[in-house]
Amino acid sequence: MNSSKPTTASKFNKNFNKVNSILERKLRKFLTGPKKGETFELRNGLVSQYKHERKDAIQRVIQAMTVGKDVSSLFPDVLKNIATYDIEQKKLVYLYLMNYAKTHPELCILAVNTFVQDTEDPNPLIRALAIRTMGCIRVDKMVDYMEVPLTRTLKDESPYVRKTAAICVAKLFDLNSEMCIEFGFLKSLKDLLNDSNPMVVANSINSLYEIRDINQNPDLEIIEINSESVKNFLLCLNECTEWGRITILTTLTEYNSKGRVEEANHIIERIIPQLQHVNPSVVLSSIKAILFHLESLTNKAQKDQILKKLSAPLVSLVSSSIPEAQYVGLKNIRIILEKYPNVLTKELRVFFLKYSDPLYLKLEKLEVMIRLANETNAPLLLSELKEYSMEFEPALIIKAIKSIGSVAIKLSGQVVIKSVTLLNDIIEQRGGELVINQSVIELINILRRYPDKNDIASLIIPIISNHIQELDKNESLSGYIFILGEYPKFFSNLNEKLSALIEEFLEYDSIIQLNILTTIVKINLEYSNQSYSALLQKVLELATKECENADVRDKAYIYWRLLSSNSTPEQQKKILLTKLPPIDSTISEFNPQILEILLKELSTLSSVYHQPSDTFIEKGYTKITTKTDKIEDIKDFAKSEIINNSARDENLLDFDDDEIENEESSGNVNNLLDELNDLFSTPPPQKQTTTNNDIISLFNTTTPATNNTQQQENQRKDINNDLLDLF
Amino acid sequence: MGQAFSFTNIFGKLWGVNKEIRILILGLDGAGKTTILYRLQMGEVVTTKPTIGFNVETLKYKNITLNIWDLGGQTSIRPYWRCYYNNTSAVIFVVDSTDKDRIDVACKELHTMLKEEELQDSALLVFANKQDQPGAMTAAKVSQALSLTDLKDRSWSIVASSAIKGEGLTEGLDWLMDVIKDEQL
Repeated sequence: MNSSKPTTASKFNKNFNKVNSILERKLRKFLTGPKKGETFELRNGLVSQYKHERKDAIQRVIQAMTVGKDVSSLFPDVLKNIATYDIEQKKLVYLYLMNYAKTHPELCILAVNTFVQDTEDPNPLIRALAIRTMGCIRVDKMVDYMEVPLTRTLKDESPYVRKTAAICVAKLFDLNSEMCIEFGFLKSLKDLLNDSNPMVVANSINSLYEIRDINQNPDLEIIEINSESVKNFLLCLNECTEWGRITILTTLTEYNSKGRVEEANHIIERIIPQLQHVNPSVVLSSIKAILFHLESLTNKAQKDQILKKLSAPLVSLVSSSIPEAQYVGLKNIRIILEKYPNVLTKELRVFFLKYSDPLYLKLEKLEVMIRLANETNAPLLLSELKEYSMEFEPALIIKAIKSIGSVAIKLSGQVVIKSVTLLNDIIEQRGGELVINQSVIELINILRRYPDKNDIASLIIPIISNHIQELDKNESLSGYIFILGEYPKFFSNLNEKLSALIEEFLEYDSIIQLNILTTIVKINLEYSNQSYSALLQKVLELATKECENADVRDKAYIYWRLLSSNSTPEQQKKILLTKLPPIDSTISEFNPQILEILLKELSTLSSVYHQPSDTFIEKGYTKITTKTDKIEDIKDFAKSEIINNSARDENLLDFDDDEIENEESSGNVNNLLDELNDLFSTPPPQKQTTTNNDIISLFNTTTPATNNTQQQENQRKDINNDLLDLF
Repeated sequence: MGQAFSFTNIFGKLWGVNKEIRILILGLDGAGKTTILYRLQMGEVVTTKPTIGFNVETLKYKNITLNIWDLGGQTSIRPYWRCYYNNTSAVIFVVDSTDKDRIDVACKELHTMLKEEELQDSALLVFANKQDQPGAMTAAKVSQALSLTDLKDRSWSIVASSAIKGEGLTEGLDWLMDVIKDEQL
């Protein structure tokens, strides 16, 4: 040993000095008192010489973190406590690390050694915890050290660790896709698809999906499903958690079984038991997968038999106690009905409205009901619809009356007569502008469906002509005028009626003016005895000289010239009295291509919006990392705005009071939309753009004028994204 | 939180029971720090990989609980040594005695480190490691190369050691314990 050798005297002196200096320092520390501040206290606790104090300090740090205090300045001190055998403490430190790694990216490498050691720990919980946390630390430097632990955990003997590592691959891919491919992680992940444990399989699929969304290299094939992996998926299906099942079922729709009847049959058979699952999402996903593989079957009888099996599960979707879930179920059912209209014909009663149903649910149920209508259930359905038209909510009444019309148009024969009398009953019993206007619109639609049936016309027209005075909606009024021109012989006092219309010609909206014009021209041609030529002259003059609307003027000129040309009345009749083709349905339908997409996207948001997902999900992947920063910016910006505008707010509040009254009258449709929006936190796309623009305009008024348009454009995009995130 | 103020803890604190003495093991990469740490803790030689970050082990030596921190010695990690200086009773500086080229670097790192305010009271033990290797410098030579004699106001010592064979480690630690006991009063 070779140590310093001071003389005894100097050694004593030195020791004495040292003791003195220590005493002095302790005394000074005591006199000045401890430094104040929570952070200081916590830091002292974190580096304490006592184990229990350190743990206690960590707990307090996490506590502060969860209530939103910024404790990032303690990063190095918390990090020191990462190497511990106490699993609770380890978890807490990991939690802290995930949260604040971004604030000290360079210090993160100090944790690498512990992570790597922990992935070798005998306890699988710790191994999984370590690899999960490592993946969550989204710092570039970390990536270099992930190779060894990730390779090890992907081949771990514990399925819990493997399934965690599978997700980690997607996270790594996001940070560094080249490395992920180069080190073969993508390959290992694909191998995990054939793992013996169902959870591992489900997680690997999810991870691969994630990677597919991130991937920007079009040459890279990420998910390749062959019959081998399908076999494994089907084996896993019964042992999975519900989330796993949904994932696997969705994946099964990626596998094309066209031309392989045996295989498709086998797949469907294995999925059918899933239809009994409690979770509606599993049920829907199973239905989706079955419908997809149904296409590959060739035997019609077999297909029908399978379809029959779907009716009970579909009904179960609507029997849920949660109205929101029922709504989603109904939206999906509507899509399925479009492709397979006969699946639910016997189940009409299930869709009857309940007193306690929220409005949006009632309206959606009506949509489904009219699609289920057939000759046998029509009487039942019509009497039910009559009940609904006696309800209180205007939106429901309108919808119920519309539905009666739709049923009459969809079915023929007795049902039509019944519907018409029903509408008449409703008008008589209930009355009111709302009911009358809507009923008249429907009656006219029915008439347009059966234009040549005199019995129906003679039934409908008296009803309409009894209530002409009460028509005040453009749609119903112009419908009435149209019928007037089509069936002039059915109306009494025709001259009087027409004169009344011409009297107020200039006060009507242009749409009604156009209709009056056409009707009078038509009647004139019909009755060639010149009895209405005075009216014609008057209306043409009004339309060409007094009317301000260019369309009306133009149309009037066209008629005028045509009538005064040297064409024969026969030619004129041929042009002007052409019958419109009968309408076939007032039930809205999807265009076939969209229907195919929607069927593939069953049980997703697009089946609720009834729009393909690429219409409301932005193409291309934006990294989450950049997004969060911008959210912070916008948050700050918004905060400062609120503070600055607090004075102005009061005025706005006053203003709001006046607004409310106006809004109330402006309609039930708005309320309905709001209700729906609340439900599905993300507003439907068309609506959303307008709200966004409002918010943007708010921002724009306050942004400095130096902002060029480019920036604003960017900002607008960001806000779009961020709004979606916020929801 | 209740745990922190329990009866036993207050008395434990008074008598210094459960108190841990913090010791840092520093040195350039590949000097043998991790090997020394595990040799001291488990008494056996483990195969090590370069430490990215740190290892920390607790061991009882002569009734004193030692909390020994082995920090990675790579250039990229050296700047972060300072995060660990607080509350440190002693520093063990490990030198690869065969690495004559980098002994100057080691010297520089050592002296920068010792200038830190937080380390003014900590004792210094230098291990001239890898004595089992041919061509290793003697402890005296290492001492000279590190200009240890320039150190004032600090208890220090240099011990020739071989972590692989387990030589010199206990002697060094014994000396360190004596110094620490002295200083803790």
